[in-house]
Amino acid sequence: MPEHPVSIAPEDAGTKTEDASESSVPNLSPKVVPSTHADTIVSAPRANGVHPEADPATSLIHKFASGGRLPLSVTKNIAHQIGCHTKDIERAALSQGILPERYIRNTSQLSLKDQLRLLESDVLLVGAGGLGGHVLDMLARLGVGKITVADGDTFEPSNLNRQLLSSTERLGCSKAEAAKDHATAVNPAVEVLVVNEFLDASSLPEHIKGKQLVIDALGGLQTRLTLQKAAQQAGVPMVTAAVAGFSGYVGVVLPDEAGPAELLGTGDASTTPVEDSLGTPAPVVACAAAMQCAEAVKILTGKPHAKGILFFDLNDRTFQNVTL
Amino acid sequence: MNIEVKCFATLSCHSPQGNTLEMPEGTTVAQVMTRLGIAEEDVKIIFINGLHVDTDALLNTGDRLGLFPAVGGG
Repeated sequence: MPEHPVSIAPEDAGTKTEDASESSVPNLSPKVVPSTHADTIVSAPRANGVHPEADPATSLIHKFASGGRLPLSVTKNIAHQIGCHTKDIERAALSQGILPERYIRNTSQLSLKDQLRLLESDVLLVGAGGLGGHVLDMLARLGVGKITVADGDTFEPSNLNRQLLSSTERLGCSKAEAAKDHATAVNPAVEVLVVNEFLDASSLPEHIKGKQLVIDALGGLQTRLTLQKAAQQAGVPMVTAAVAGFSGYVGVVLPDEAGPAELLGTGDASTTPVEDSLGTPAPVVACAAAMQCAEAVKILTGKPHAKGILFFDLNDRTFQNVTL
Repeated sequence: MNIEVKCFATLSCHSPQGNTLEMPEGTTVAQVMTRLGIAEEDVKIIFINGLHVDTDALLNTGDRLGLFPAVGGG
């Protein structure tokens, strides 16, 4: 419990929202909650058929939900007052058929059940650079509940052209730590576990174990085959992508499928990597990351994912799906 | 016969004009690569009409050939 109980009523109740379609969301009553002592929380909610002995979070969610939606400020305040994680409040709301306000613009594509599945998902993101930064941002906005981010690197000036988590102020800072800061700022319901190291064949299995999905957001070819093999051995699907210039590929690799990594090899130390000679501008990285996340959502919500590896070139808009 | 050739990333400098190429019937992927001056070791993934193939695959009129190098950036 916080030392000074907070009001649960939405901070912005009655204020204008982004557009007309969202304006019907929270204009809650009562606007002020008598929450000066702990008893209020447990004894107050009796509306909507909720048993008064139900857990405090569920009771409060029903009390302050409006039109099947739970305002963002209420979510935050209930979590604060009860002393639990925002994810627990969102999970309780979704379990009761109530949509946390922040996911309103997901709803035509993601059902309440899908949103709950995302919130209960546990994924490993390997790499928090170009692909990884955009992937992390999208996973957080989608509401993927638990993300382990592994990257042993720190930001340098050459990252600034494309890496969403990089900034002039973060030069020299840990990419994995930056991932946690960013995801938490975007969506506090997302739990981010930081692994401040470059994973290899010996450390990958322990981090892949128990995950529903691995996302390959590595830079360079050196470790991609190792990661693909580790995911396959653990029986976990992987979404992979790589880019160079304005070209790249994206695909899902299931445990029993061939992936692009074995065809591309692990790089030749004596030659300059293709991505170093062509560069990796922001649009190509963001495009590949977006397509990775689109497949990630399908896998995490139990929907059929796209088969094959998609090769693309933004220079001439070539998009070619290939069966390996 | 006329085929369509898409050379990705570093291979794009070898693209034929208009991304099309006139080759004799029975041409293999390897022969197309030789004609375009592309070294075999520089191509990692080859596909014809959306199917992964090897350098000895035969091409037919109207086929879409894709050549992809060792792209690994992120």
